[in-house]
Amino acid sequence: MRRTGVATLACLALTALAAGCGLGSGDAASGDDDEIVIGISLPLTGDFSEPGKGVQRGYEAWADYVNANGGLLGKDVRLVILDDQSNADRVASDYERLINQENVDLIFGPFSTRLVVPAAQVAQDYGFLFVEPAGAADEVFEQGFDNLFYAAPAVADDHYNLLAEHILAMPEDQRPQTAAYATMDDPFAQGTAYGLRDKLAAAGIETVVDEVYPPNTTDFSSIAAQIADSDADIVVGGTQYQDAVNLIVSLRQLGYQPDLAAFSTAPTNPEFPEAIGSQTEGIISPTGYTPDATFEENVAFVEHFTEMHGHAPSEDEANAWTTGEVVAAAVEAAECADPSPECQQELIDFLRDATVDTVVGPLSWDPEGRPQSAHLIQQYVDGEIRIVMPSDAAEAELIYPKPAW
Amino acid sequence: MPSVSDRAAPAHVDGEAPGRSRFDLTIVGGKVVLAVVLGALVLAFPMMATDAFILSVGVVIASYAAFAVGWNFVGGFTGYISLGHAAYTGLGGYGTALLVLELDLNPWVALVAAAVLVALLAVPIGIASLRVRGASFVIVSIALVLILLLVAQSWASLTGGAQGLRVPRPFGPDVLRPEQHERFFYLNVALVAVALAVWWFIDRSRFGTGLKAIREDEDKAQALGVPTGAYKLAVFVISAFFTALAGGMYALWFGYLDPIFQFSILIGSYMVLMSLLGGIRSLFGPVLGAVVVGYSLEFFKVHYGDSQFHLVALGLLLALVVMFMPDGVIPAIGALVDRFRPQRSSIREMTAEELLAHNASIDDKSAGTATATDDERDLATVPPRSGKDLR
Amino acid sequence: MSGSLLLQTLILGVLLGGLYALLAAGLTLYFGVMRVVMIAHSAFLILAAYLAWFFHQQTGLDPLLSLAVTVPLFFVVGYLMQRGLISRLRPATLTMMSVLLTFAIALAIEGMLGFLFTGTQRRIQLGYSGSSIEFFGARIAVVKLIAFGLAAAALVALFLLLKMTRFGQALRATIQHPEAARLLGVNTDRIAGFGFGLGLATAAIGGTALALDSTIYPSLHWHWIGPLMAIIVVGGLGSIPGAAAAALLLGVTQSLLQLPLGTTWAQTVFYVALFATLLVRPQGFFGGRLAQRF
Repeated sequence: MRRTGVATLACLALTALAAGCGLGSGDAASGDDDEIVIGISLPLTGDFSEPGKGVQRGYEAWADYVNANGGLLGKDVRLVILDDQSNADRVASDYERLINQENVDLIFGPFSTRLVVPAAQVAQDYGFLFVEPAGAADEVFEQGFDNLFYAAPAVADDHYNLLAEHILAMPEDQRPQTAAYATMDDPFAQGTAYGLRDKLAAAGIETVVDEVYPPNTTDFSSIAAQIADSDADIVVGGTQYQDAVNLIVSLRQLGYQPDLAAFSTAPTNPEFPEAIGSQTEGIISPTGYTPDATFEENVAFVEHFTEMHGHAPSEDEANAWTTGEVVAAAVEAAECADPSPECQQELIDFLRDATVDTVVGPLSWDPEGRPQSAHLIQQYVDGEIRIVMPSDAAEAELIYPKPAW
Repeated sequence: MPSVSDRAAPAHVDGEAPGRSRFDLTIVGGKVVLAVVLGALVLAFPMMATDAFILSVGVVIASYAAFAVGWNFVGGFTGYISLGHAAYTGLGGYGTALLVLELDLNPWVALVAAAVLVALLAVPIGIASLRVRGASFVIVSIALVLILLLVAQSWASLTGGAQGLRVPRPFGPDVLRPEQHERFFYLNVALVAVALAVWWFIDRSRFGTGLKAIREDEDKAQALGVPTGAYKLAVFVISAFFTALAGGMYALWFGYLDPIFQFSILIGSYMVLMSLLGGIRSLFGPVLGAVVVGYSLEFFKVHYGDSQFHLVALGLLLALVVMFMPDGVIPAIGALVDRFRPQRSSIREMTAEELLAHNASIDDKSAGTATATDDERDLATVPPRSGKDLR
Repeated sequence: MSGSLLLQTLILGVLLGGLYALLAAGLTLYFGVMRVVMIAHSAFLILAAYLAWFFHQQTGLDPLLSLAVTVPLFFVVGYLMQRGLISRLRPATLTMMSVLLTFAIALAIEGMLGFLFTGTQRRIQLGYSGSSIEFFGARIAVVKLIAFGLAAAALVALFLLLKMTRFGQALRATIQHPEAARLLGVNTDRIAGFGFGLGLATAAIGGTALALDSTIYPSLHWHWIGPLMAIIVVGGLGSIPGAAAAALLLGVTQSLLQLPLGTTWAQTVFYVALFATLLVRPQGFFGGRLAQRF
């Protein structure tokens, strides 16, 4: 009571000092017990806005699905999503606000490695379980966070594992001899390409070009010129989206024809074929998700999502959904979903040793939160995305060498 | 043109009021009371904050105030507007973090050591960029941020590059997050207070008078024997030092450095906006500006979350300030009494008026019986001329 | 490193330098007529690129056709900006305050673009995006060639306009000696406005050229403003041929440096050149009578 009085007085006096009067959300009435409030900060504007919106769709579809199926612990789930403008300062302040002002019961992670680390710090400081859909780079797991779990099959460095094994298993005379790498200066993108590079280099496949470019590079002609000049057998792009498109266009302008072309992330994007035109044939990409997977959870996910949006989900949506599934599994097991450190610790302890069935298959984690599963390898075959590895999930044979683009 | 006595009022707002008439004394007294009340409110803020989020906003605003006050050493005294002071906050942050991580220094020692290093680095930068005036200086300041961004991104073995750099927390794990916020709030306030004290001290010194003469008319100041190069460089280094301290403090609080957000032109432009808005020639102008800008940014974010519109708002606000209030809110409020007209004034012109008034008042009181010092009288001959030139 | 890679890189550098030259010419014009450093120049560049992209998106026609709209539009906007905003600043602090004002305009443009078109990266997909021409073992992309041709043509047109026409004479007179020009009956205020319009028109052309072969997004202008600023300082503020020469030189150097240093470090060449110029020859290396002690 007295505190409120002082606060009101302060607000009156402090309009200039701006303590944050007017910064309150207004509906702090999230304390009622018949719903579970989940706080999320996502990059809905700024550099990461595209994948950020994908993650948002995934979260919302998940909440919708849960509520349509009896809720969580019998309560409705409500999402509070803030926009962090793709800015690290903002993402920390968003979680601060979600936890302290919105009084959320649970939090889900944001998008992109760059934003996951500062967000995880806030979550850790308040003792919250932090399951995240998009911080795959290895250093996320090297920060000593004991509350963090990555809800996807594998960390960035391991994305190409199956492809590496496949290449190394090729007969010596068919194996590629030289490789060119171009990666964005981004922890996730670099992780994927370097994971493959290190494995191939160790097996004697010579690295002839190894270029890093800043995230905002738009002119790839110089990098492409070096790759074309090296005439490497395979080209690997540690890419996000647009940089892959630009690099491919630049490589085509130079008439470079590799035997194998692999790019992270971009080829899994539904707009990729549109941007590249008819030259996608044979392009390879690791993917954590395929809508065609036959896991029971996935069938339900694809059905629900397609009903909501009219098309099948992609990887970002799937990762978000997976995050929801993982947290829900912990909540069901611990039978609690409140912000108290005890409850959050129970959730964390459960996930340490659990194996959770998700849309990307069963997931379990090492002590740092690395998922212990493997990414699939996809390839454009006859203009369609087909899973080519591992063999037990393969929908098509790997095309090697790839047709000219 | 208003008469000289009319224009005595804005001069007092600057904090250098000769304060001799009873009217002036009342104003000074009022200001003291206001300062005490506001100071008490600032110190009481953490107790009044209703939750840790509000407290964290308070820390950010206090940080901004420290940035702006640091910036204002150059901007306010010399009129050289740097859009690139994020270079020094970023360097201060990275310096602090690296000294802690690589050399295992105590975080507070690292903070000061990093600021000293940045100040040393500012010497060659200052020599290069202060050779040019006006537009070129601004270009150089922008270029500095861009080049540091490139270096921080590329030199990954040192800075962690795009992977970012995690800064260890200066307080033990038993200090909970809200309490950290509280401590950092006070630390930032203390930093602002120290910086303001130094600013105030310089403002009264011969050094400060020389600097203001540079802002007024650099060539004339030089002709009159002000060592302009050395003065500019000195204040530039002081500015870099305080800005780096503020940046290091922010890094310790925030705990994570990413080149894109550390070396950002936007942060630099916030500093300019905050200082201009509050008034670059007044002691508390930058602080006031930081509070207004910091609060607006937060307010905008909370209420108009997911759109890029905050950039438009920032741009419009900056444009409005530049067009209509280049002297900031504090002088503008003073001038409001004096019939507010758009573009009536500019940095130099106000100074001219102010020193003119100052000069006149010295004359009035028969050669400064009370407070005018020798050097003030020396320089009092400079401004009126340029004042005439400008009109 | 093979000879063909070197040649390839050299050609890429020249093609890039052409675009830099055109844009730097625009910046030089503003500086010439008003002593204004126009930070928003590259923001207008991106705006024009967005308009070209939007035009292509909506009509499916070649983005080059959007020039018919953007060039006159930008000319008018430039004129109005000079008359309505820049010329209203106090002369005493014009250089400082105009930088801030144009900076504010750049922010507003970036924000508006993000607001209208989101932060998604955009790229025009043309039938001839991937095609190229063989040239002594090097390959030149058709789109890059078109962009360079556009920039070169605009630059030549600008040069002829300044040298051959009455308006050009008046403009040059205004740049060189505004008071004398006024005495001779030149309406320097209007001419200055036109100079600004011309400068902005170069951004329209440059933006369209850029959109042909590059991805665009709202904050891309920061990427351009640094190199452009460095170019005009190195070239000597106020000299169009100086700016063009510096642009070509730095563009080629950047391209060549990418081979040994990689993309990120190569970009620093602009800033190194900028600082070196200020230390050694603050008035710039090519021309630059105007730059001294402004």
